[in-house]
Amino acid sequence: MGRKGTLQVFLQFAVFAVVMFVFAAPASAIPAFARKYSLRCTACHEAWPVLNDFGRSFRDNGYQLRLGRDDTVTADPGYWPVAVHVVPTYQYTKTTNQTTDQGVKDIGSGAIADAGMDLLMAGVLTKNISFLVVPTGFASDGNVHLESYWAYFTRVIKDSDWLNIRIGQHEVDLPASGHRPLSLSDNYLLYSYHPGVPGGSNLSSYNMGENQRGFEFLGHNTTDLTRYSIDVFSAHDSLGSRNALSSPSFYGHFQKYFRFKDGPISEAEVGVWGVQANYPTQFLTSGGVPIPGSGGNLQASTRYGVEANVWIGPTVAPLHLDLVYGHGSDKKELLLTSDGVTPADRAGTWNGGFFEAIWVPPADLLHWSLFGRYDIVRNQNQPLLAAPKDYNNEDQWTLGVIYTLSYSIRDEVAFHAEVSSNKVKGIGYAGLDQRTDSIMLGVDFAY
Amino acid sequence: MSIRITRFFPGIAGVLLVMGSAMAADTGDVKNGKLVYQRYCMSCHGDQGNGQGEAAEYMSIKPRDYRQGTYKWRSTPSGSLPLDSDLEHTLFNGLYGTYMPTWKVLDERSRRDVIAYVKTFSPRFATEKPQEVIVIPPDPGYSDASVTRGAAVYLKYNCAQCHGAGGQGDGPSAHELKDDWGNQLVPYDLTKGHVKCGDQSTDIYRVFMAGLSGTPMPAFSDSLSSADAWDLVHFIQSLSPGYAKNVAGTVANNPSGDKK
Repeated sequence: MGRKGTLQVFLQFAVFAVVMFVFAAPASAIPAFARKYSLRCTACHEAWPVLNDFGRSFRDNGYQLRLGRDDTVTADPGYWPVAVHVVPTYQYTKTTNQTTDQGVKDIGSGAIADAGMDLLMAGVLTKNISFLVVPTGFASDGNVHLESYWAYFTRVIKDSDWLNIRIGQHEVDLPASGHRPLSLSDNYLLYSYHPGVPGGSNLSSYNMGENQRGFEFLGHNTTDLTRYSIDVFSAHDSLGSRNALSSPSFYGHFQKYFRFKDGPISEAEVGVWGVQANYPTQFLTSGGVPIPGSGGNLQASTRYGVEANVWIGPTVAPLHLDLVYGHGSDKKELLLTSDGVTPADRAGTWNGGFFEAIWVPPADLLHWSLFGRYDIVRNQNQPLLAAPKDYNNEDQWTLGVIYTLSYSIRDEVAFHAEVSSNKVKGIGYAGLDQRTDSIMLGVDFAY
Repeated sequence: MSIRITRFFPGIAGVLLVMGSAMAADTGDVKNGKLVYQRYCMSCHGDQGNGQGEAAEYMSIKPRDYRQGTYKWRSTPSGSLPLDSDLEHTLFNGLYGTYMPTWKVLDERSRRDVIAYVKTFSPRFATEKPQEVIVIPPDPGYSDASVTRGAAVYLKYNCAQCHGAGGQGDGPSAHELKDDWGNQLVPYDLTKGHVKCGDQSTDIYRVFMAGLSGTPMPAFSDSLSSADAWDLVHFIQSLSPGYAKNVAGTVANNPSGDKK
C-alpha cells in the first residue's frame, strides 16, 4: 500500500470511528462471571481481555473467590454460566508480491469479516471443581467445534494451592495468552512459527497458542506471585497420534512476580518456559490415510525461552511492558522437501520473540487502552543448506487503541482500531519479500 | 569490570534511593486510589461511595455506604472510626458470605491508595481520630467447660433472639432486622464454620466487644466481661467443625491488621 493510499484509508476509518464513538449507545449484556460476582470487567482485566493479578488469581483458583458464594447452590440464583463473545470487524488487507497467473501482483481487499462467535460456558460445579466449555465457530461455513473443554480440580491436597489439575482441551500457561491478545488482526509470531522449506511441508503443525488435549498440573502460592505449570498433552493436529499417553508432549512454565511498595515500578515478573511437542513421522495407513494411534518414530518441535514483564506506574493504570524471547527447533525428519518424502538437510532452528507495551491511561473510569507490539523471528539454521540465510525471517508490528464504552456488571463493549504490518523474507514471487499491511476497526462485545 | 561496578555501585544505589524516597508515601495516593476504586469497588459501593452501585439492588447483603464513616469491622470501639489497618484487614480477608471478596492479590500500594480514597467519602476522617484499640486478653483456650459456660452467656445476652437457639440465624427477630439504612438483614448463620469478619478466635471476640456498626449487632464491651466473651467465642466455635479451635490457649493479643 502506498503512503498516500494508506493515509486515505486511515482517514476514512478515523471519520468512521468518530461517528461510531459519538452515536453508539450503551449495550446491556451479561458476561457470566461479572454477573455472578457483581464485579466489572475491569476487576479481572488490565485491558480487555488481558488478565490482571486479580483475574489471574481468580482463574488459577478455578473461578472461585472462596467466600461462600462460588458453587451452584450458594451462588446467586440469577447466575447462569453462559456468555457470548463476538467481534464484528472491518478489515482492509493488502499483500505484496503475490504469485498469480497474471504475474506478480499486490492484492488488497477489505470487508466486514465473516465473524464467528465464542459461546463461553464456565463456572464452578462444586467446591474446588470448575469447568470451561467453549463451542466456537457459527460463521457462514456452519462449522462449530469445541475450542476448549476441561474440568479443573483445585486444592487437590488439603488446602494447598500448590497442586491443581486440569483435564481436557485447554490453553497451556503461556508467557502471554494466545487466546487473550489485545490485537485482533494478528497473533504472536513466536507461538506459531516454523522454519520454512521452499516448496516443502512440515509434519509438525505445533502452535503454542492453540489449545492442547491433555493434563495440566498447576500450582501457586496464596497471593499467586509464584506459579508453575506442567503440561502433558498430545500435540494439536498430530497425524497418527491419538492421545497424550501414546505420543506425549511436554510444556513447562515457571513465573515469579515481584512487587515494589514505592518507586516508579510497581510490579515485575520473570519467567522461564519450554516445550517439546512430539509428532510421529511414520504411520500405518489405510487408503493412504494415517491410522489414528499408529504413529511412531516421534520427532520433536522444541521451543524454550525466557520472559520479563514490568508494570510502570500504578498497577491499576499501568504502562505494562512485556518482553518474551524464545529459541525454536524442528527436527529435520519433520521438515519434508518438495517431493513430500525426503527430509530436509538438517534441523531448522531460529530465535524469536516479541516486545509488547500496553498502556492504560490514568484517566477517569479507565475507558482507554493503547497497545503496540513488535514480533521478530530470525532463522539460525535453515533446514535446506542451499536456502538463503534470511529465508522466512519475519518482522511484524501492531499498533492499536481500544475504547471501552461499557464494562458494567452485565456486559462489555469496546471499539477497537488497529494497524499492523507483517514482512516475510523471500516467500513472495521469485523469492521477493512479501509484506501484508492491515487496517482493522471492530466492535468487541461480550454478553 | 568488577572494580568499575564496585566504584559506581554506591552512586547508582544512591540515585535509586533518592528516587524511591521521592516516590515513597506513608499514606495512600487519593488520586490513584480513585482509579483503584473505579476498577474494583464502584460497581457495588457506587461512584459517590453511597453503597448504591449498579450491582447493589441485586444484592441480598447491601454494600456499605461509606459516607457515615461507619464500618462493620474495626479494632476500635463502637461508634469510632476504624484504623487504616482495619480497612486493610477487610480488604485483605474479604467478608465471608457477602459479595466482598478478598483483595489480597492486589499489591499493597493499591490497597493503601484505595483506603485513602474511601476515607474521602466521609468528612469524619478529616475531623476525628479513631479511638483506642480494643485490647484483647489472651484466649484461655477452648474446652468443653468453656463451651458450656458460653452457652449460658449466649442465653443470658439473648443472642438467640436473632441468631436462633441453634445459632442458625433463625431467631424470632430474624425477619425484623434492618441496618441503619433501612435494608432488611438476616442474622448470620453461625453454624457455617466461618464468621464474616474473620475466623480467628480474636476476630470473633472483637465482634462481641466492638459490635458491627451500622447493623443491629451491638457492642457488649460495657456489659460483657472478657472471661464471658471468651466462653461465648468457644460456644460459637462449638457450633461447627469448620472453626479452628485454640485448645492450648494463647497469650498473644491479636491486634488489628492481622493477616491470615
